[in-house]
Amino acid sequence: MSRHWNPETPRPQNTLLCHIDEVKEGDAKGVGPVGGLKRKIILIKRNGVLHAWLDACPHYSTGTPMSWKADAYFNGDKSHLACHSHGALFDIETGECVLGPCLGQRLTPVEFTVSDGGEIFIASPAEEEKP
Amino acid sequence: MNIIGPDYLVFGVDDIAACSEYLTAFGLKPVDVTDKGGLFETLDGTGILIRHKADPSLPPPLPTSNMLRQQVYGVRAAEDLDAIEAELSSDRRVTRLSDGSIEVKDDHGFELKFQVTIRRELSMPAEKINAPGAPAQRKPNEIGVWEEMPALPRSLSHVVLFVPDIDIATGFYCDRLGFVITDILSGAGPFLRPKANDDHHTLFFIRTPDYMKGCEHLAFHMGGPTELMVAGTRFVKKGYQSFWGPGRHKFGSNWFWYFNSPLGCHFEYDADMDKHDDTWVARETPMGAESSQIVLFEMREKWAPSGGPPPGAKG
Ligand code: FES
Ligand SMILES: [Fe+2]
Repeated sequence: MSRHWNPETPRPQNTLLCHIDEVKEGDAKGVGPVGGLKRKIILIKRNGVLHAWLDACPHYSTGTPMSWKADAYFNGDKSHLACHSHGALFDIETGECVLGPCLGQRLTPVEFTVSDGGEIFIASPAEEEKP
Repeated sequence: MNIIGPDYLVFGVDDIAACSEYLTAFGLKPVDVTDKGGLFETLDGTGILIRHKADPSLPPPLPTSNMLRQQVYGVRAAEDLDAIEAELSSDRRVTRLSDGSIEVKDDHGFELKFQVTIRRELSMPAEKINAPGAPAQRKPNEIGVWEEMPALPRSLSHVVLFVPDIDIATGFYCDRLGFVITDILSGAGPFLRPKANDDHHTLFFIRTPDYMKGCEHLAFHMGGPTELMVAGTRFVKKGYQSFWGPGRHKFGSNWFWYFNSPLGCHFEYDADMDKHDDTWVARETPMGAESSQIVLFEMREKWAPSGGPPPGAKG
């Protein structure tokens, strides 16, 4: 999922999210909303791999924010991303809801690029990626 | 059967520290709380009791992932407990505890407890307002708001349950326990008040699939809409996540502001709810955005229009 931005190609949507060092290993961080998006973007670093999901629970079509506090996106044992509205649990790597009201639905992935300097940019408007 | 309303709601949680932090920041007072959990109470003594989900002293969990373990109802007197026991023991097991309270399951399997209410009588003014044509509620020189004004939950107001069968739920609470339907949002469900409480609702049902059975939200009465918005604003400033509101519902007329929580359901501040008696005739309207609220706002960061840019300045 993590791709490096190639300076040869134009940046599609060069909205800066944050620096990769601001996302600590094993943690989640909510950034934004940026670039006209209504919701924040959840950045998670697991085993050195960065994942990015729109902070929008698929239980309702509007997509509602999932944390209970700033950056508090995990369930108690940190095994899953959780929606703290009705307790839906999501696989951190695939975004699939594995328990709760939106069982089988997925979080919206956010395409991103990481520059050589470690800056994370949105690669495309995340909301267009909704199925 | 003089049921007043929920005294406590009991949760089996997976993160005691996070829940303790949350409940305290929400404005509840920890009472004998340890790393094993405890009670978080409002000004009148009603509130939320948390334990770790593996704590054997908790009633069994629902078959869903919901963390609600028990609803503890307060009644007026010991005779009311006898009446409830007599009514419910005809078709289910009713357990009498040593303190006289009784435990029983409702028809959907939700764990209930009935006890002589622990709520303390409050004597505090409601929010006072001034308006032309009406006598002033605030005396000359009595100010309405100030930065440190108190805005704490006064009482546990209501609980909202996801249930798979509305008829079964209303049948149990109305026919067996004497609750009254005040209004119905068709497509969602009915608002109920128990006999010994004139609040528009202490209980509301939302029809959902079986696998969602549980608590959707619970709410606390505030002293008025200003306290509600002050408490909610302070909560957001501390980093907590608004879900819906502030706004004002149509049925019940109560102001609302809902927040996400680490207890797997929403927590609501509410204020200025309608009161009803037995002469009230229930209204019914289809559930929808228009029918569920008269106004809805979303919090934004504070700003202030000042004098604006000097003449000729750009922007
Ligand atoms: S809004 Fe996320 S589980 Fe209901
Ligand atoms: Fe409510």
